[in-house]
Amino acid sequence: MSLLDCAPTALLLSLQVAGVVLVLFLVAGIALGYALSQPFPLRGLLDALVSLPLVFPPIAIGFFLLMLCGRHGAIGGPLHEWLGWDLVFSFPALVLAAFIAGLPLVVKPIQSAIEGQARELIEVSCTLGKGRWETLFLVVIPVIRRHIAAGLTLGVGRSFGEVGITLMLGGNILGSTETLSLAIYNRVLDGNFDCATRLSVLLGVLSLSLFMLLRRLGRL
Amino acid sequence: MSDRETSLEAIIDFSHPGFRLCLNIQVPTAGVTALIGPSGCGKSTLLRLLAGLETPAAGHIRHGDQVWFDRARRIDLAPRHRRVGLLFQDYALFPHLNVARNIAYGLPRGVDRDTAIALWLSRLQLDGLAARRPDALSGGQRQRVALARALASEPAVLLLDEPFSAVDFSLRQALRLLFQEVVADRPVPTILVTHDLEDVRQVADRVGVLIDGELRQSGPTAEVFAQPCDAEVARVLGWHNLLPVSSWDSRTACGAWGSLPLALDEPTISADVIAIPPDGPRLDPERGLPIEVVRVTDMGGYHAVWCRLSDRSPLRVHLPRSAPCPTPGLRTRLDVPVETIIPLPARSAALPFALPLTTATLARRDP
Repeated sequence: MSLLDCAPTALLLSLQVAGVVLVLFLVAGIALGYALSQPFPLRGLLDALVSLPLVFPPIAIGFFLLMLCGRHGAIGGPLHEWLGWDLVFSFPALVLAAFIAGLPLVVKPIQSAIEGQARELIEVSCTLGKGRWETLFLVVIPVIRRHIAAGLTLGVGRSFGEVGITLMLGGNILGSTETLSLAIYNRVLDGNFDCATRLSVLLGVLSLSLFMLLRRLGRL
Repeated sequence: MSDRETSLEAIIDFSHPGFRLCLNIQVPTAGVTALIGPSGCGKSTLLRLLAGLETPAAGHIRHGDQVWFDRARRIDLAPRHRRVGLLFQDYALFPHLNVARNIAYGLPRGVDRDTAIALWLSRLQLDGLAARRPDALSGGQRQRVALARALASEPAVLLLDEPFSAVDFSLRQALRLLFQEVVADRPVPTILVTHDLEDVRQVADRVGVLIDGELRQSGPTAEVFAQPCDAEVARVLGWHNLLPVSSWDSRTACGAWGSLPLALDEPTISADVIAIPPDGPRLDPERGLPIEVVRVTDMGGYHAVWCRLSDRSPLRVHLPRSAPCPTPGLRTRLDVPVETIIPLPARSAALPFALPLTTATLARRDP
């Protein structure tokens, strides 16, 4: 039995989700890490929200998001009513689940690097006449690129392995919102340990490859 | 352009838990103004406040006619608009950029980049290093790159935080000379923060002594070094022989170390300490303070003699090479000429803080 027979669409779906969240992490991770390293009102609240998935059970986060984003939720309701669009049990729901689960793992290393090695360089850049955006692109990103790579590795790795939030928001619909991790879960429930083993090895190889690739990029 | 038009004036009240910086400074464009003081007195914080990297609780900062900060008028110019050349203690060179790109980072618009880089490489003796990254430079080279970067940005004010502290002694001397060549003649207010008295003596035209967040004394360098206003300032300025006075008996100062006559018409009641310049006293077995010689060092032009007084207070005396050199362990007496003894208060008031820092007062003065 080949891998495709085990979970025909799960691999492609997981790669698609990983690709989209990688881009989102790159943008939001750097922006949030940079913002959280600067003093501004309500910084503590934003920091707590970003860090929440590290300490809060994923299944509970998924449940709250389901309530919020469902057809009758505070966010999902207007989306359904005005745009006719249902967020839950869709590809964007999988992306949202992976994004929320991995975000703190991307933001924290970046924030820590900016507060540490980049803080003085940011100040120098400002005194030399550069604004926040110029400083971000000319100094911060090049200086902390290794930390960015490390954060992306952790975040995307986490998104590959995400189950709790994905299960709630994505609905675990076979052939539609079944990611690799959920496929392993489903095969174990079916008693198909052979498939579960193959998929687990595949997921491990994928995560390791990603780790090697991003580490190499961070060294450049 | 007159000096008034480009000088830097600041009235600053800044505090964070356990520390308050409260001062009034005016820095003219001509020459270098040094700020010295013990660790934690607020020297580096003051530079950060002037650069806009920290925000005062009250006061104002003005460069010529341009207001950089005014709490009353809610003006707080961002660091990038203040045009401050700030040289950090550890230089803070951009590690991902080579020397040329570090220097060019803050070049004003319209300046020819290649010409400016070549000029500053040459002026700071960095020829041949343009393509090197900071991690491939020595401490002295890094210092010069950081200085070139700050100067190339054509700053309106130059702020230097311990610029020579990270290089060794021999290199420090050469860097001071180079610094004087490229910085001292520039018509911009320049503040040098240091704890090295040699930096102050060799480079600064004026000096301010900062203690516990207050400007205790300021003036021309030679004048401040010669006449400290109190014992704390004297200690900061490297004065050695400061003896606490417990009582005044007519024209005599007494302490646990003994007693000494004073050449004053009236006893200086406010003086708590007497200072004995090391060049004044002479060894005389017949009269003076009883001492024990602890160590003698040949300083080239003179002998430095470290002694202990009767209460074991240390005292340093400089004896000319022509005078007999004592041996350690010798118990003798020290004749201190009365005219050399300087009475000092233990602590004087800070320099007048121009105004009570209420916003109303500031608003009236700066309409």
